[in-house]
Amino acid sequence: MNPNMPQSELSASRDFRRPAARVAGVACVVGIAGLAAGVASGYSAGWEVFFRSYLLNYSFVLSLALGALFFVLLQHLVRAGWSVSLRRLAEFAAGTLPVLALLFLPLVIPLWKGMPGVWMWSAPDVVAADPVLQAKAAYLNVPFFLARCAFYFLVWCVLARYYLHQSVAQDTDGQPRRTLAMQWWSAPGMLLYGLTVTFFAIDALMSLNPHWFSTIWGVYFFSGCLVGFFAFLALLVYLIQGRGQLASHITVEHYHDIGKLAFGFVVFWAYIAFSQYMLIWYANIPEETVWYLPRQGDTWWLSVSLLLLFGHFVAPFLALISRGPKRRPGLLALAAVWLLLMHWLDLYYIVTPRPSGFAAPAAPLHLTDLTLFVGLGGLFVAALVWPMTRWSLIPERDPRLPEALAFRNI
Amino acid sequence: MKHGTKPRPPAGPELHGLLAEFDSPGALLTAAERVRDAGYTKWDTHSPFPVHGIDEAMGIRRTRLPWLVFVFGVLGCVTGLALQWWTNASDSREFSFLPAHLQGYAFEIGGKPLFSLPANIPVIFELTVLLAALATVIGMFAMNNLPRHHAPLLAQERFKRATTDRFFVFITAADPKFNATRTHHLLSGLGGSAVESVAASSEPAHLPRSLIYATTIVICLLLLPPLFVAKARFTKSAEPRIQLIRDMGNQERYKTQQVHALFVDNRAMRPQVPGTVARGDLRDDAHYYEGKVSGDWATTYPPQLEISESFVRRGQQRFNIYCAACHGLGGAGDGIVSQRALARDTPGWTVPTSLVNQTVIERPLGHIFNTITNGIRTMPPYGDQIPEQDRWAIIAYVRALERSQNAHLEDVPVELRPELR
Repeated sequence: MNPNMPQSELSASRDFRRPAARVAGVACVVGIAGLAAGVASGYSAGWEVFFRSYLLNYSFVLSLALGALFFVLLQHLVRAGWSVSLRRLAEFAAGTLPVLALLFLPLVIPLWKGMPGVWMWSAPDVVAADPVLQAKAAYLNVPFFLARCAFYFLVWCVLARYYLHQSVAQDTDGQPRRTLAMQWWSAPGMLLYGLTVTFFAIDALMSLNPHWFSTIWGVYFFSGCLVGFFAFLALLVYLIQGRGQLASHITVEHYHDIGKLAFGFVVFWAYIAFSQYMLIWYANIPEETVWYLPRQGDTWWLSVSLLLLFGHFVAPFLALISRGPKRRPGLLALAAVWLLLMHWLDLYYIVTPRPSGFAAPAAPLHLTDLTLFVGLGGLFVAALVWPMTRWSLIPERDPRLPEALAFRNI
Repeated sequence: MKHGTKPRPPAGPELHGLLAEFDSPGALLTAAERVRDAGYTKWDTHSPFPVHGIDEAMGIRRTRLPWLVFVFGVLGCVTGLALQWWTNASDSREFSFLPAHLQGYAFEIGGKPLFSLPANIPVIFELTVLLAALATVIGMFAMNNLPRHHAPLLAQERFKRATTDRFFVFITAADPKFNATRTHHLLSGLGGSAVESVAASSEPAHLPRSLIYATTIVICLLLLPPLFVAKARFTKSAEPRIQLIRDMGNQERYKTQQVHALFVDNRAMRPQVPGTVARGDLRDDAHYYEGKVSGDWATTYPPQLEISESFVRRGQQRFNIYCAACHGLGGAGDGIVSQRALARDTPGWTVPTSLVNQTVIERPLGHIFNTITNGIRTMPPYGDQIPEQDRWAIIAYVRALERSQNAHLEDVPVELRPELR
C-alpha cells in the first residue's frame, strides 16, 4: 500500500454520510420501538423482571463502549501505529458513553424514589431483616451508590469526549501536539479507567448478590468487555466495508490483528472465569459457592454454564487459533457474531439468576430480554453511527496514519 | 568501494560463498527477488532491522515451527493429565505388577474426588504452556542451526556493518546452482555497492578454551545437588530435617482442647455435626462390627471375610502380639505376665482364662469378638488397638489353637503319624 496516498482517497469516507444518517435514523426508531415494547412486556411480567432485563442488556451495550474506551486509551498509551485507521471507529463507540449515561437513569430512578429496584440491598425492609446487609450498609447504601455511579460516568464521558474531540479536531488542523496531548492523558486515563470499571462491576453486577464477593470480579467483567468489543469491532469494520467504505484503509492485516486480540481476550476471559470458579470450587465454602449454586442447580442454568464453557471458550479458541480464519473477513465476522452472542449469554448468566434462597421467576428467559436488547441495542447503534454523518471514519491527519496504511504482519 | 570485487583465485582458501552489500532496504528487496528468481536455495539476507516483505522477496515458505509447538503443547497437556491421574487417582491394586515406588496411590484431600478436572486444570495448563514455550525456543534455534560459536561471515570486515547501516545478500558455495563466476556476475548486476568472496573459515573449528573450562566447572557444580540428594537417601541421620522454607508440615494450628474465640463454645475442637457420619465411620454392619446377628452372638464369620491360611496366619501374628502375653502362646492362660504375677504373689491377680477349654470352645464367635472389643472382668478392651478384621483373624486362630489342643489321632495327616510317639 502506498503510504503517500492522495488526500482525496483518504476523504473518500465522506460519501458515507447519507447512508450513515439513514442507518442512524432507522436504528433510533427501532430502538425507541424496542424500548416501548420492553416497557409493555415488562408491565405484564412484573417490574423486577423488567429491571433485570434492562440491566442485562444495558450491561451488554455499556461493555462494548467500555471496551472501545479501553482500546482508544491503550493505543495512545503504547503509541500504536498499526491501529490508527481503526481508532476512529473505537472513538465513535466510546463516544456513545454520554448517551449510555442517560440510559442508566431508569435503573437508578427507583432507588432515588425509594422504590425497590434491581438491587435488593436498596430495599429497607430487606436490609432490616439481614444482619450481613446491615454490616455492609456503610458501602451499599443508596446515596453513596448514586454518588459513585455519577463519578464513574463522569470519568467515562470526559475521557470519551476528550479523545473523540481531540481526534476530530486534528482532522481539520493536523496538529501533531494533539497526538502528544492524547498520549500524555492516556496513562492517568487508564488508571482511572481500571478503577472505575472495577468498582462499577462490583456495584452494578456483583451487588446483585450482596452477600457474595469475589476479588477477581472486576477483571472478569473487564475481560468480557474486551471480548465483546473486539468481536464488535470486527463486525463493524466488515459491515462498513460491505458498504464500499474503508476498503483501502483497513486491510486483511488489520482484520488479522483484531482477530488476534479477540482470540487473546477469549483466552483471558476463560482464564479469569476459571480462576474464579476453581478457587471457589476447591475451597467449597458455602458463603462463596452460593453464587454458583443457582447457576448449576437446574438443567437450564447448567446448560447455560456448559454453553459458556464450550461456546465462549472452546469453540472460539479452536476457530481463531490458526492464521486462516483471522485473515478471512467473512469468517472473522461470523466468529464475531458468535462471540457477541456468547458475551450476551455471559452477562445473562451473571445478571438473571436470583440469589440463592430467593424464589426464581416462572421462566428463566423473558420476552423483555429480547425487546430490551432490540431497544438498547438500537439506541446504541444510533448513537454510534450518528457521528459518522459529521466526521470522517478515520483520523485523516493523524501523524501515524501512513504507518497504519502500510501495516503488515511479519 | 569497488575493491575486492574479483573472486579469489582457486589457489586460496576454500570458497565459502559470495557476499553482496546494499545501501537500502529497498535495494535489498529487489536484489532478493532477483536471487530468488535465479533459483538459488541456500542463501540468506542480513539487515540491521526487520525488513517488511523480505519473506516473499526471498521466497521463504511459512515456518513449520507452529506444528512443533502444537505437538509439544498437546504432549504437555496429556502429560499433565496423566501425571495427576497416576499419582493421585490410580488404583495401585490394578498395577501391582509394578515396583512399589512406581505405583500411584489414591490420595484423598479434604473429601474431594480423587480425579476431578477443575483441580487438574492448573497443572495441565502450566505443563502445556511450558512444553509449548520450550519447543518454540529450542525448535527455533534448532531450525536455524543455532547456536554456533563461529561463522565464516563474522570474520568479514565489511559484514560488521550488517548491524548498523548496510544490507547484505549472501549465497553459500553449497548451493546446487552456485558457480563462482556466474554467481558473482549475478550479484554484481544487482546494483549493490560491493561484492566480495568469503573464504571458508581458516580458524580452527573447536570451541574457545575459556568456554570449555567454564562448561566443565558448571557441569561439575551441577553434579553436586544430585550427590547431596543421594547421600540423604542412602545414609541415616539423627538430625532434624532442614527446612529452608517453613512448609505445611510445620504450620501454626490449633491442638486438641485449645480455646478458639471464633466458636460460641470457645472450643477449637469441633464436635461432629449432628446427623452426620465421618468418612469410614459408618458401622451399620452389626455382624462385622459387633459380632451380633439379629441381637444374638454370631456363630459364623461375617460373609465378607475369606477364611484362608493367610488369614489365620495373620491372626496368629496378632495373637502373639496382643494376647499371648497373658493368655500364653498356646492359649492355656499361662502367659509370662501371669506367670510373673503368680510368682510374685501379686494380690488380687486373676489368672487369665484358658482359651482352649470346653467353655470357650462352646462360646459363639460373636461372644469372643465382643470380649476382645470391650474386655471382660480385669481384661482391658482392645477394640481401639485391633481393627475389626484382625479381631476376626485372632478368633480364627484361637479356634485353630482349640482344635490343636483337643486333637485326636485322626486329625493328624497319615504320613505324619509315625513321627508321633
